[in-house]
Amino acid sequence: MNDFLLILRVRARMFFASIRSLSAIRAVSFVFVIACFVLGAYYIFIRVFGYLMSVEVIGPGLLDRLIEMALFVFFIMLLFSNVITSFSTFYNSRELDFLFSLPVPPTSIYLAKLFENCLYASWATLTIAFPLIIAYGVRIGAPILYYPLSIASIVIYLFIPAAVASMLIAILLRIFPKLGAREVIMISIAFILGLTYLYIKINNPGLLKIFETENEQTLLLFAAQLTTVGGVYVPSTWLSNILRGFSDGSADWTFSFLLLSFVSLSTVLISFLIAKACYVRSWLSTGEHASKRSRRKSLLFHPQRQVARTILFKDLLVFVREPTQWVQLSIFLILLAVYVFSLRKTPIYFVFPLWRTIVAFANFAYISFVLATLGVRFMFPTMSLERAGIWFIGSAPISFKKVLLVKYFFNLVTAVVIIEVLLLSANLFIRVGRGLYFLLPIIGLFVAASLVSINLGLGSRFPHFHEDNPSRIAAGSGGIITALISIAYVGISIVILATPAYNYLSHTFMRMPVNYLLVYSGFAFFVLFNIFTIIVPLRIGIKSLERRDY
Amino acid sequence: MNRLVIKNLKKKFNNTWALEGLNLQLNQGEIFVLLGPNGAGKTTTLKLIAGLLRPTEGEIVIEGTNLNDDPIKAKSYLGYVPDEPFIYNKLTGREFINFVAGIYNVSKQNYETRLTELMETFDIGTWVDELSESYSHGMKQRVIMCQLLLHNPNLVLIDEPLVGLDPKTSKTVRELFVRLKEEGKTLFISTHTLSFAREVATKIGIINRGELKFIGDIEELSRISGKKDIEDIYLKLSADNGIV
Ligand SMILES: Nc1ncnc2c1ncn2[C@@H]1O[C@H](COP(=O)(O)OP(=O)(O)OP(=O)(O)O)[C@@H](O)[C@H]1O
Ligand SMILES: [Mg+2]
Repeated sequence: MNDFLLILRVRARMFFASIRSLSAIRAVSFVFVIACFVLGAYYIFIRVFGYLMSVEVIGPGLLDRLIEMALFVFFIMLLFSNVITSFSTFYNSRELDFLFSLPVPPTSIYLAKLFENCLYASWATLTIAFPLIIAYGVRIGAPILYYPLSIASIVIYLFIPAAVASMLIAILLRIFPKLGAREVIMISIAFILGLTYLYIKINNPGLLKIFETENEQTLLLFAAQLTTVGGVYVPSTWLSNILRGFSDGSADWTFSFLLLSFVSLSTVLISFLIAKACYVRSWLSTGEHASKRSRRKSLLFHPQRQVARTILFKDLLVFVREPTQWVQLSIFLILLAVYVFSLRKTPIYFVFPLWRTIVAFANFAYISFVLATLGVRFMFPTMSLERAGIWFIGSAPISFKKVLLVKYFFNLVTAVVIIEVLLLSANLFIRVGRGLYFLLPIIGLFVAASLVSINLGLGSRFPHFHEDNPSRIAAGSGGIITALISIAYVGISIVILATPAYNYLSHTFMRMPVNYLLVYSGFAFFVLFNIFTIIVPLRIGIKSLERRDY
Repeated sequence: MNRLVIKNLKKKFNNTWALEGLNLQLNQGEIFVLLGPNGAGKTTTLKLIAGLLRPTEGEIVIEGTNLNDDPIKAKSYLGYVPDEPFIYNKLTGREFINFVAGIYNVSKQNYETRLTELMETFDIGTWVDELSESYSHGMKQRVIMCQLLLHNPNLVLIDEPLVGLDPKTSKTVRELFVRLKEEGKTLFISTHTLSFAREVATKIGIINRGELKFIGDIEELSRISGKKDIEDIYLKLSADNGIV
């Protein structure tokens, strides 16, 4: 136990040392950006919850169900992110060689790593979960006790997915010691997806059915259904019961809290016992199989005529051969495809052209936000991943500007393909008018160009040349700042476009006169803003790369 | 024209000086060996010349081109081998070599034959087609040396070349350095291996705490210090209050 605390203490020291090494300005801006994000989320939740509670009959029930759904989604997301980071934390990090050579029991190493992994995998979810819980408490007028209790609950809750993920991977590696990172992560994710599907199938959450009807009778029936508790066997339900217990007493929070704590403790205990039985052996065997050798035909031929092509080809190869990279990207893309296809079943409420147009705008905003998060995960780490070759690039007769620009165009093409396919097919399914059908994809080009620039530029400004796990690079302080700046960029763009969009709507659907000056100046401003967000981040990145000591 | 001219080169990290006013001139066909204890500033000096660190003060001129004014041109004359041989894990050795050749625009003529020859010189076997994540330290170093000779720079910077090499490769490397010198290349090598310095160096520098304590050939070195054996000379000169 003492060893475990010691390892944790060393970790904490390292963390604080890295914070202390940040400059004061960077630390302050970091805290500021996080605070803005949390407060912004809080504001949105307060507004949405307030609105829902004022809706008659179904409002309060819908709110509770929404919270339950959100917590359920968090749970699945936490499982995913824990699985993805687990393999490298428990079996594949450089530090492990050192830790295992120390005279400490492996179980202490396991526990310390469990904490570390839980923290890494959960921070992003927490920045949303905290404002959500507090906004809910404020809206239902919860007593003071609600706040410490709900925060304690969510911390307890976090350990369940972390322990489950580590167990899953430990068991997989015990049964199939020859599996590589890619296989382990893919099998685990398939397993989680399967379970999620089963849960949704069996539990059949009523929320998804909301807009299927206008009939008052069915609506009342639906409302009645909403008040019934969902799946009793999912931790997120217990968590939502704890929260709801304070609102109308419809659920007993003490029981749920005890249940949650009991299950969390047991899961950690079971995972501990499993680790005791097989952690060392699995770690040793992954070490052996990691260096499993096989000859490959050289895919990087010389002579490539152009320097740019050489860099491009190298990046592609490295990406394709890093399973955690493209496995995660594929999962994101599959989820997005599912989302777009679900637009095909446009609910009855949305048949009017006005609604369709609004849905088209909302869809555009949503896709931009998704691209912003994808960018931080996959584009922000790009320059940092040069880690092993930075000595070469720095001493070779090639400028950082060129390296970064090659990466920029490569990432831009990918981003444009993703955003355009999503926008065009979504617009097709929503059946928007012809003008918007072409206008939104054009705006999408600007959004892609800006987001790629922000991520690559700031990724070069805040590189992590000592880390080779891309998810962790993205989870560092630079990544968080970039994520929030990207989201702010999308928010500002939408605000700028809102005025011309509103004018367009009132013209098309309410026969109001068009204010051309307003429309054109709105677009002109949008373009100017984007020229700024395309050029400035890239310049910052290039300057910083050129001035850095390697 | 001098191949490498260093004028009053200084480097400060945060608040400590790693290098305090280095002056040096190297011509073609010279092997300069920089000796010094751990933390003396050897790696710092090499990285400054390679353009990986930005000087706090001073100038570096390679083949008449100032590194600060035209980095791309200046860097096209040099090749650098770091002390820690990093290669992209997910590339094979051959792919890394091809990547380098692509960046340096190595001529296509006889490319494959030259590569095969170099691979023979460094005893690089079929493992060159395996991912480099499974390489040992010495294997990576051999790939890096091979890559370096393929683009064949005039000024070669090597940090601790003998660390991690087996005796056979070590001998190959030493012979190779002498051959390069005879071809008119200039080599700038940092090391802790004194016998290596005695064997190949045409010029020796001893650095301690960021200051060059001595520069000259072996004869001068023993004359100044009054000692015969290079180990005694080194220990005397790199002592904290050694002669300046
Ligand atoms: N990035 C850095 N940040 C801060 N200080 C540094 C950095 N790099 C080097 N130093 C300091 O500069 C001094 C010289 O280091 P350098 O690596 O040049 O030594 P060296 O002669 O190569 O030593 P060794 O023989 O161990 O390789 C040391 O005191 C070191 O602590
Ligand atoms: Mg060194």
